Amino acid sequence: MLPLPRFSWEAPDRLPDLVRLAAEPGARLVAGGTDLLPSMKHRIFRPGTLVSTRRVPELRTLRVGADHSLSLGAALSLRELARHAEVRTHFPSLALALGSVATPTIQGMATLGGNLMLDTRCMYYNQPSGWRAALGGCLKCEGTLCHVAPRGAGCYAAHSADTVPVLMLLGATAVFATPNGELPIAVGELYPEDGREGPRCPPGAVLVRVEVPAPQRAVAFRKLRQRAAIDYGLLLTAVAPTPEGWEAVISAVAPQPIRVAAPTREALADAVHKAVQPLPTHQQASTWRKRMLRVEVARALASLPA
Amino acid sequence: MSNELVLHLVVNGEPARALVPASRTLLELLREDLGLTGTKHGCDVGDCGACTVLVNGLPRLACITVAADCAGEHVDTIEGVAVGGQPSAIQAAFDHHVAAQCGYCTPGFVMTLTHLFTEEPEADEASLRHALGSNICRCTGYVKILAAARDAQARMRNPA
Repeated sequence: MLPLPRFSWEAPDRLPDLVRLAAEPGARLVAGGTDLLPSMKHRIFRPGTLVSTRRVPELRTLRVGADHSLSLGAALSLRELARHAEVRTHFPSLALALGSVATPTIQGMATLGGNLMLDTRCMYYNQPSGWRAALGGCLKCEGTLCHVAPRGAGCYAAHSADTVPVLMLLGATAVFATPNGELPIAVGELYPEDGREGPRCPPGAVLVRVEVPAPQRAVAFRKLRQRAAIDYGLLLTAVAPTPEGWEAVISAVAPQPIRVAAPTREALADAVHKAVQPLPTHQQASTWRKRMLRVEVARALASLPA
Repeated sequence: MSNELVLHLVVNGEPARALVPASRTLLELLREDLGLTGTKHGCDVGDCGACTVLVNGLPRLACITVAADCAGEHVDTIEGVAVGGQPSAIQAAFDHHVAAQCGYCTPGFVMTLTHLFTEEPEADEASLRHALGSNICRCTGYVKILAAARDAQARMRNPA
């Protein structure tokens, strides 16, 4: 049995109440709960109050612009978004990324906002409390030593949100509500360099929606994993053409998604291989993940028109 | 602040009421407060699908669902799947094909398929396999589960 630690529950139905409750000491937002609740069962987090985002209409609104730009409520489920006709037609790479998260059942529970705010992951961190205690904890939780890079400068737990590499290449913006009004932040700016912190949510702010500008270029996405369901990614790869050449965003390798540019399509795989160094944050060998970088970029490029 | 709350929900079509701590999971509510032990307690962290129930018709993992989050909602469990006291087409097909060995994962598989064939009666092989990616079985190797699912789907489309 892994009981949840005790907490109190709030489920406001107005945005100002959500913002106010989220700012109270010991409070933590919960949407689908598919990552937060397992971590609470493992005693990684013990919030005094869980504040549900699911009953606030602003977080459940989806708007489509005349130019096919999207405004996606943070509490919409991955399933709803992946099946939405506009998303499928004009942002197929986003539909693919949404549909690659965990399992179909989890996609029906988990939300877009939850995916953007997903904590960083590591094989020494996402473990039951007894497992972690046997190693004396780690830099991110209950300890002082990073088992991935004992002589390193910080925590290397991996950013693992499947939708983020694609959203970055689509130029998406996360819009937060704060007591002083709205605060837009580019999706790529949400993730700090040190894995201890997890995504940057400004104090007292609540992620309300994600804005995706009108589609301008084709983006391709791939998720490397052991099984076709449930697993977190071993490499997340998104690629797209730019006015100057090509770019890739690679994740599941570091606390931040890594953006790599190359002058030509042919040069992108080598540029990624040179710029990205997977660390042993996963059970699979990082030497193999390093070799797979070239393969995944080539596969992603091959799925785009020539 | 609500540390303990009175929950009203509709379980298998019947109104249900329970006084629970806010930290109660839906799985604990069903099994311990309402005595509905058909929904199984598996991995406890949302990986295995043994605790799959339907909330407002959609599959949810009861072990990582806060019961309070289901206030006022319709919850369907394996106990409510039978039709007029008879096993549903999916249950009958699992029985006919012996699609269970230890049987612990079966209620979860039945709930996942109940949702799939309601929403997508014409689901093809790829959709079927994709949907069953939500559930883990450590005994059967899935061959008989897939056979039972295909058979149930055929019976549901052409009731005898």
